[in-house]
Amino acid sequence: AAPSGPGPASQKGEQGFQSPRPYKLAYQLVRIHSISFHRRSAAGFVELTILPTVADLSRIKLNSQQCGIHGAAFTYSDPTLEVCSSEAKHRALGHFSHAYATALHAVDSDAGNGELCIKVPPELRKCVNAFPVLKIHIDFSLDRPQGGLHFVVPGGEGSLAERAAHVFSCGYQNSTRSWFPCVDSYSELCTWKLEFTVDAAMVAVSNGDLVDTVYTQGKRKKTFHYELSIPTAASNISLAIGPFEVLVDPYMPEVTHFCLPQLLPLLKHTTSYLHKIFEFYEEILTCRYPYSCFKTVFIDEAYVEVAAYASMSIFSTNLLHGATIIDETPLTRRCLAQSLAQQFFGCFLSRMSWCDEWVLKGISSYIYGLWLKKTFGVNEYHHWIKEELDEIVAYELKSGGVLLHPIFGGGNEKDPQVSHLHFSIRHPHMLSWEYYTMFQCKAHLVMRLIEQRISTKCMLQVCNKLLNLATAASSQKFQSNMWSQMLLSTSGFLKSISDVSGKDIQPLMKQWVDQSGVVKFYGRFAFNTKRNVLELELKQDCTSLETQKYLGPLKVTVQELDGSFNHTLQIKEDSLKHNIPCHSKSRRNKKKKIPLMNGEEVDMDLSAMDPDSPLLWIRIDPDMLLLRKVEFEQADFMWQYQLCYECNVVAQQEAILALEKFPTPASRLALTTILEQEQCFYRIANSMVSTWTGPPAMKSQFTRMFCCKTCPNMVKTNNFMNFQAYFLQKTMPVAMALLRDAHNLCPKEVLTFILGLIKYNDNRKNKFSDNYYRAEMIDALANCVTPAISVNNEVRTLENLNSDVRLIVEEITRFLNLEKLLPSYRHTITVSCLRAVRVLQKNGHVPSDPSLFKAYAEYGHFVDVRVAALEAVVDYTKVDRSYQELQWLLNMIQNDPVPYVRHKILNMLTKHPPFTKNMESPLCNEALLDQLWKLMNSGTSHDWRLRCGAMDLYFTLFGLNRPSCLPLPEFRLVLNLKEEKAVLNPTIIPAPATGNREGTSNPSSHAPLAGFQNPLPSSQEEEMEMDMDTVHHSQAFSSQHLSMLERPPTLELSQCYLASARSALLPSCVGGYEGAPTSKAPWGLDLTHKGAAQVQSPPEMHIYPFAVALLCSPLSRKRPPPNNEHHHHHKHKKHKHKHKHKQKHKHDSREKDREPFSFSSPALGRSVCSPSLSD
Amino acid sequence: MADAASTPGASGSGTRSGSKQSTNPADNYYLARRRTLQVVVSSLLTEAGFESAEKASVETLTEMLQSYISEIGRSAKSYCEHTARTQPTLSDIVVTLVEMGFNVDTLPAYAKRSQRMVITAPPVTNQPVTPKALTAGQNRPHPPHIPSHFPEFPDPHTYIKTPTYREPVSDYQVLREKAASQRRDVERALTRFMAKTGETQSLFKDDVSTFPLIAARPFTIPYLTALLPSELEMQQMEETDSSEQDEQPDTENLALHMSTDESGAEKENTSVLQQNPSLAGTRNGEDTIIDNPYLRPVKKPKIRRKKSLS
Repeated sequence: AAPSGPGPASQKGEQGFQSPRPYKLAYQLVRIHSISFHRRSAAGFVELTILPTVADLSRIKLNSQQCGIHGAAFTYSDPTLEVCSSEAKHRALGHFSHAYATALHAVDSDAGNGELCIKVPPELRKCVNAFPVLKIHIDFSLDRPQGGLHFVVPGGEGSLAERAAHVFSCGYQNSTRSWFPCVDSYSELCTWKLEFTVDAAMVAVSNGDLVDTVYTQGKRKKTFHYELSIPTAASNISLAIGPFEVLVDPYMPEVTHFCLPQLLPLLKHTTSYLHKIFEFYEEILTCRYPYSCFKTVFIDEAYVEVAAYASMSIFSTNLLHGATIIDETPLTRRCLAQSLAQQFFGCFLSRMSWCDEWVLKGISSYIYGLWLKKTFGVNEYHHWIKEELDEIVAYELKSGGVLLHPIFGGGNEKDPQVSHLHFSIRHPHMLSWEYYTMFQCKAHLVMRLIEQRISTKCMLQVCNKLLNLATAASSQKFQSNMWSQMLLSTSGFLKSISDVSGKDIQPLMKQWVDQSGVVKFYGRFAFNTKRNVLELELKQDCTSLETQKYLGPLKVTVQELDGSFNHTLQIKEDSLKHNIPCHSKSRRNKKKKIPLMNGEEVDMDLSAMDPDSPLLWIRIDPDMLLLRKVEFEQADFMWQYQLCYECNVVAQQEAILALEKFPTPASRLALTTILEQEQCFYRIANSMVSTWTGPPAMKSQFTRMFCCKTCPNMVKTNNFMNFQAYFLQKTMPVAMALLRDAHNLCPKEVLTFILGLIKYNDNRKNKFSDNYYRAEMIDALANCVTPAISVNNEVRTLENLNSDVRLIVEEITRFLNLEKLLPSYRHTITVSCLRAVRVLQKNGHVPSDPSLFKAYAEYGHFVDVRVAALEAVVDYTKVDRSYQELQWLLNMIQNDPVPYVRHKILNMLTKHPPFTKNMESPLCNEALLDQLWKLMNSGTSHDWRLRCGAMDLYFTLFGLNRPSCLPLPEFRLVLNLKEEKAVLNPTIIPAPATGNREGTSNPSSHAPLAGFQNPLPSSQEEEMEMDMDTVHHSQAFSSQHLSMLERPPTLELSQCYLASARSALLPSCVGGYEGAPTSKAPWGLDLTHKGAAQVQSPPEMHIYPFAVALLCSPLSRKRPPPNNEHHHHHKHKKHKHKHKHKQKHKHDSREKDREPFSFSSPALGRSVCSPSLSD
Repeated sequence: MADAASTPGASGSGTRSGSKQSTNPADNYYLARRRTLQVVVSSLLTEAGFESAEKASVETLTEMLQSYISEIGRSAKSYCEHTARTQPTLSDIVVTLVEMGFNVDTLPAYAKRSQRMVITAPPVTNQPVTPKALTAGQNRPHPPHIPSHFPEFPDPHTYIKTPTYREPVSDYQVLREKAASQRRDVERALTRFMAKTGETQSLFKDDVSTFPLIAARPFTIPYLTALLPSELEMQQMEETDSSEQDEQPDTENLALHMSTDESGAEKENTSVLQQNPSLAGTRNGEDTIIDNPYLRPVKKPKIRRKKSLS
């Protein structure tokens, strides 16, 4: 949340950024003078040069986590360390999530808060007027950091440099605070000086220009001096120290690449392409790369594959590859391009607040998309767009909407659209990783929609304008207040768009940015022969979760005999049917070439089509101009034509998917034809073979393409010069193995064929490595496996192993063993083997046993192998419901040295949970609950991504409300026998204000406010209630009573409501029964008291009564009336805003960004910017 | 005579091959001589006072006599060859007899004993003609530098080399098949060996030997094996594409430059500094135009500066 009031009069007014802090940061010096790899510690100091903007600056709040800080005159409090107190008995995620959001806000730098609070000595305060610049010196030390800095210290012989020990900064969103004290916000820019003293054999790579490298005395160490003259946010500061090999880019001397020892040849090859990406971006943006240098560092145990920081990017070392690797090359190039795009938008241009994040993510992905289009072709680009579109649509329909601009909509945490989430989207550190990925995806798609609306040229002009403004600003001196131009906000972006293009994109913004949800179309058509009109019926599904209604233009492309025609339909409120006149008459035997969309004219065999209709195929929204899902019905021959003759990959892909429903010979013919077309885009071919449904016609196909002419049962020696054929060759056997005969078994000939392929695989004459190909062959083998016929659950032994399966096992064993002697690139073969073994286990051919996987999952194996093995263990845990394995996994989540692996385990467990909230499972017990709770509550406090992952898992396992496996506190509900109603114990009714939040704030909720009278909604709840109610009533009665009840339609909501009510009750309950821990009671009371309004940093209350007083006073003044009235209030604001927009008011953007509860500036006595004045 | 007796093996093949026809001249020759020997044995027996003898004992004695004579012949031949002659002389025989423990002095007396029987000479039979083994062309005459007394060249077929090959298998299918199974065998043998000698894991708990898996062992630096191509692949690359070779010599170059540049740039640092300045030096050596801050030499500490910093 970025509270922004109107700026001081001195500012020029346009998009001025209003800092939430009573001072401005001008310059920061970071010096780390000792780093110990053995102790995994670092020590140093920072010096912040700040300019107070208020007269009596008394407190300076900075962000800092896990740093030991030395010195006096400061207080430290980090409520995120332990979100809920450990004694608390309530374990509802809803409660946790709320408390966590509060805690995050209390340290949110965007809100001017921080963990570290420095008191300005009174004597100094007096002189502030005389000396307008303050310098803060903080000594800090880090000891075994859990996040922020990651140490990689391999064991073994030799010096640290020989063992390739290194350290690098990492994190999710703005997490620089976890390695040095700073203002950890993307919006507080300053210039930097960074100094790192490291071992003489090491290199320290950091942001900005390396100005000096100086030995220390005795020459055992050297100090790297960096200067970053471009104002940069602390969150974009990074560091990597290690015995790196240095490679200066041969094309661009100002670009330097670093990699770990021995990998230099790979680094050379990998980065040899980078200069082209540079050229491309600089050309389309007509703007030079903003920093004077660029560094790429490839490190092991990377937190994320690509992390972009100011003038430097940190990559995973696993992206490096040699010239013989085909599959990795495009992936790595994509990563390079992505990081470079983020250099422009994300590092150089920084976001103003969290709600502007989407603009940066959108633009950087957009220009990356342009690069993709140019490099890999239009088809690849379209395919990518389609993939992203499908993903976002699937996610939104399944898990809920993705809101790009969180503040716009409700302006409040209780935004109706997000109430079902177990995290608040206001805080970037609370977002589920998956949500964040989807968020970026959607941001890109929306940016593309904007581009389509205003044209590519304008879009690039906008980018150029933004960059130019920022470049101009960056060279300014600090005092000029121009630096805020380097912050990008939604309003600033929109303004640039309207300046450049003059077009109004408000409707678009409203539809996709300010609200979440996607559009879902169902289409059908009929052809009216008499009128020669196509009657198109389009329905929108607005009922299901997270769909929205779309009104406006919609493009429909109709391919007729006489050509392809675009029609734009206006979707109106109640219009279902659309009549589209056809241009061509239906004449059967007209021998004429048929013009296609791209101007080509082709001959078609029209015998398959309906003689009465001139329609070949129809496509709805062909250019993907909406975030939509289209389900369209047309005849199979139309899909076949679409597949064969439409030149758009997306259309072809759709057709292939649709043809899955029509396993006819004609479909197969169409598929075969397209396979044989040389120019066919390989991905199409890929997706095609995976949907193949016919008999092993594919085998003959494969034989024809890849086998020797003389001996058809033998594959040619590998030659992967033709990548398209290579990909096809890789995919076809995998798809072929999915064939099943009438008994649902894999045909014997297919297995023999694949075994033959493996046997005769010969890569000696090939220029490229065949490891991916061999891995795919193993996947194909795994695909062949069908469930074993087991009699009486006998134990699987070698004797009763099926002979076919025996062959498979033999191959897998051989591959796996061979891999130990001749490892393949990224161990792709081991990965495939492990998966195959798991498949064998799952199908009952091999005894199910996780020990093999556990061995491969240990630290010290290649990360891909570990992840594959862990996946198998997770799967085992799910299938066999093994408590032991679950514990093992949880233990690994807590203790593994690699953050990525820990994150990944959580992720996989969330995707494949051993049980879910609606399931009875022996695993679901209180101990596990406690363990997870601890993990989430305090165990992962230094890695936000991990904590979010833990929250996701908790949500999947136990749901948002009180977990069912917990014993219930007594006397929570009372069943009224006479009225047959369940009521909350009246003695505790006055408390539940917190709980009301979710329930009542949801306008679509039908849950009556008198929800306490609502009958118990779900069976799970029933059981719980019954347990405690046996005190009063016989169980028989209550169950009878409950069975009479019908489930209310708003099941979820009321459940949620009830649960949250409960969680809210707990503090007082606990207080009542356990003798009220002194600090807890006010906390709970405080929560309830503030209720729906945003809760401000309560934990600090105990520590700084004075600060609280400050915080509270504006709050009470400005707090809007809760709930409904609040919405009204907001609407009012919006209205005002519109009005102002017309007048071209200068405070335009500020107004928009402002929240109803901005409090900090007025609180600190800035009368200039008090809201009353600006309004 | 000794000669002929001493080489029964050589003529044996001839004998055996002609054993079906007893009329073979060579056989007759030998039979006649053996008959003579039998007569000798018989007369000696008579001389010793035997009235009659069993055939078997006569045969045995004949055999012994023949062996004895043969041994004399063989031994005498050896002695004569030892003194670089081809014809045995009396002395050879004498030496032989002495060697065999025979008192030569008694021989004249024995020869002149009174009761000795005189046997008629065996009928003269023709020396059997050794059949020409194989006349494969003309024997080569001696080249001029070889004295003519040297033995003649053997038959040409004994030394002329006519290399022959089995017809190379040109069937593609068979070849591929063979290559594939060969490789597979090697791989299996190797992996089995590794599995036998090291720790293993197994898919089946009850049977550890059928499908042994080499136990997974963590690496200290896992990414190295995963990213760097294996030696085999490198080798293949060199075979297939020579242009790819520049990867390896490069590191060697590096090392080379390292030593030269370092000595030039900063002599005093060589012991402490290992990596970075050297790398920087390398690049400078290759391309002097490039100015990259990471390639610049590391500055020496300035005392004052240090103080001001800390």
